[in-house]
Amino acid sequence: MVSAKKSLVGYAFISPWLLGFLAFTAYPFLTSLYLSFTRYNIVQTPVWVGGANYHNLLTGDPLFWKSLGVTFHFALIAVPLGVILGVTLALLLNLDLKGMGVYRTIFFLPSILPTVATSVVFLWLFNPEIGLINRILRAVGVTGPEWLQSPQWALPSLVILSLWAVGGSMVIYLAGLKDIPTHLYEAATIDGATAWQRLRHVTLPMLSPVIFFNLIMGVIGVFQYFTEAYIMTPGGGPEDATHFYAVYLFERAWRYLDMGYASAMAWVLFLVIMVITGLLFWTQRRWVHYEG
Amino acid sequence: MMKEENAGWFRPLLRGLAVAAAIAAVTTVGITRQRLIAAGETPQAHKRIPVYYWHMWGGEWLPSMTKVVTDFNASQDKYEVIALQVPPAESEAKFLMSVAGGSPPDVMVQWTNAISTWSQGDVLQPLDTHMTPEEKRFFLNDTYPVVHENGWYKGHLYGMIINMDVNACYYRADQFREAGLDPDHFPKTLEELTAISRKLDRKDANGRFTRIGFLPASLQMYAPSFGGGFYDPAKDDVLLNTPENLRALNYIVDTNKQLGLDKVRRFNAGLKSQSGIDWPFIDGELSVTLDGQWRVKQIKMFKPDLDYRVAPLPPPAGGKPGASFSNVSFLTIPAGAKHSEGAWEFIKFWSGLDNPGAAAKYATGFSWLPSSPQMAKSPDYQAYLRENPKFQTFVDLAASPNIITTPPVPYQLYLMDRIGSVDDLAERGSLTPVQALTKLETDTARERARRTGLGYDQ
Repeated sequence: MVSAKKSLVGYAFISPWLLGFLAFTAYPFLTSLYLSFTRYNIVQTPVWVGGANYHNLLTGDPLFWKSLGVTFHFALIAVPLGVILGVTLALLLNLDLKGMGVYRTIFFLPSILPTVATSVVFLWLFNPEIGLINRILRAVGVTGPEWLQSPQWALPSLVILSLWAVGGSMVIYLAGLKDIPTHLYEAATIDGATAWQRLRHVTLPMLSPVIFFNLIMGVIGVFQYFTEAYIMTPGGGPEDATHFYAVYLFERAWRYLDMGYASAMAWVLFLVIMVITGLLFWTQRRWVHYEG
Repeated sequence: MMKEENAGWFRPLLRGLAVAAAIAAVTTVGITRQRLIAAGETPQAHKRIPVYYWHMWGGEWLPSMTKVVTDFNASQDKYEVIALQVPPAESEAKFLMSVAGGSPPDVMVQWTNAISTWSQGDVLQPLDTHMTPEEKRFFLNDTYPVVHENGWYKGHLYGMIINMDVNACYYRADQFREAGLDPDHFPKTLEELTAISRKLDRKDANGRFTRIGFLPASLQMYAPSFGGGFYDPAKDDVLLNTPENLRALNYIVDTNKQLGLDKVRRFNAGLKSQSGIDWPFIDGELSVTLDGQWRVKQIKMFKPDLDYRVAPLPPPAGGKPGASFSNVSFLTIPAGAKHSEGAWEFIKFWSGLDNPGAAAKYATGFSWLPSSPQMAKSPDYQAYLRENPKFQTFVDLAASPNIITTPPVPYQLYLMDRIGSVDDLAERGSLTPVQALTKLETDTARERARRTGLGYDQ
């Protein structure tokens, strides 16, 4: 009896969150599933159309496949590079040097800047003629690419931008590195392990749960990649080279008023993310090392 | 013991409930207040009926907008317009949400031509039902064709054009003279213009363009001059892969190829901005450019001593004179608006439907084109033209029957996005103009089939 009352107290305390979750997350989440089987423009009553939206998506919409392809392509480049750069930076910033706090702050700073502001600054940096990047390249005798205006370079440009904000995950890696017990390194050193061997056989396995966490979050993040592409390459970029899935979904929902179709796209995206996350969880047994 | 235990769980429960109640109260008050502000249900102060109006004009345009509202309110003893400026980037989503939520403004300006999409979706109310027979007669007979031919869906007017941009050639007289050309004799054909513009091109030591005489771009902008376009009112159907559109696209692509696609791309990429003082025409990087009447005000503001002229785009052989694509702004009354009569009064007042002469000062305040010959001839508008003689070319163009806008089909934004996409592919040389227009036709047919399958009326 007492325990039930105690539970009641607990629920009362979390009720603001619980109500918020039910009203603003669970309800829209389930509603969107229903809407994905309807024709709906947010004003008129939804009309049931069965699986037509899914059928059209999978069989009759090249832009759906194109945007999915762009997003996968981006994920395949940006996520691994983000992990490698994040870990590398964390390793460097974990060295025992004077003024390390300053360096850490410098590398972390970009990740706290608003995305929109960063995007606008990078628009200028990437300008092929008057942008800083190509000016520097020109100074060393290299003709830089057309970056965001080029179908080949627009996506890599956005990858570069994503790496600039790697500080967020770097801090988590850094915390992970601090957690690795020093006695492991001492033991390895006594056994005659070189710096590379210590990195390969102590640091990376001990850091693997953190890498796994950042990998999952990174994958989920890139599949919802929107703001930078929307601001820097409006309308899907040159030759739809940066027509990301989330951008196309947004266009379908708010520009073309196809909320049903957009809901179906959202559920396909959800399934894609679930499958990839599931696969990553399946592989983790082989490479993620949990202490103890 | 029991008592103590009771008190032990009771106090935290009370505290928890109090916190939850406080949060709920704050949230509810917030929502209620928001709702009152949005829907205008406050029983306070306004003796007159409030008409809530949303627009997106800020900065240098805001005083012009405020004047319209102030003058309307001064003229009224029944309605009072309460204006709210909403951020342009969020205006559409905000507007659609307000309609979906049953609490829209009474009148709203729209910069995006989605009138058909929204009319089909029951987002808007018809306007023509508010018109008296006299107003309807004036609207249909005395306004310019572009004004009364747009904003319709299924026999009803859902959007009243308050402003339209038409395009003409701005050209630099100083650069003409420097290249040995006579600025008083602007070319009479597009072919002639294209030929003389090569004399205006300038390159640096590396062979990169520092200036291009005339650089045609965008199928949407050039199709009208070639007699093309994207909609056939007689058949109420879209026009896509037509010989006229193909000629227009061929012209753009061929001209760009002659200049060198890569060089043109680099030149375009290096342009700083399309607005304000950095506009390439003011900057001197383009000698001739096709652009809207609103640039007259910008030049006056940013470089008043610029030596330039304005002329209509000369048509190609067999093309149409006085042709232009026009971006338009509409005044609309959303579905669910509570004071649609007041909204209509405001639309009438501003657009000058029953008094075009009186409304002329609002058009000139914004540097807009007149909506009817009566407005153009009014003393206010004539005074504006004397002050801004370059505007005359655009006023003449506004009267042209060869002005086209976004096709009034319910999938119009999809269509315009696809036109932009295939145009991009062709201008970059990734598709030939024939392939591009074929792709446009295929994509559009697929979208129509999809919509038909879902039960949408086309």
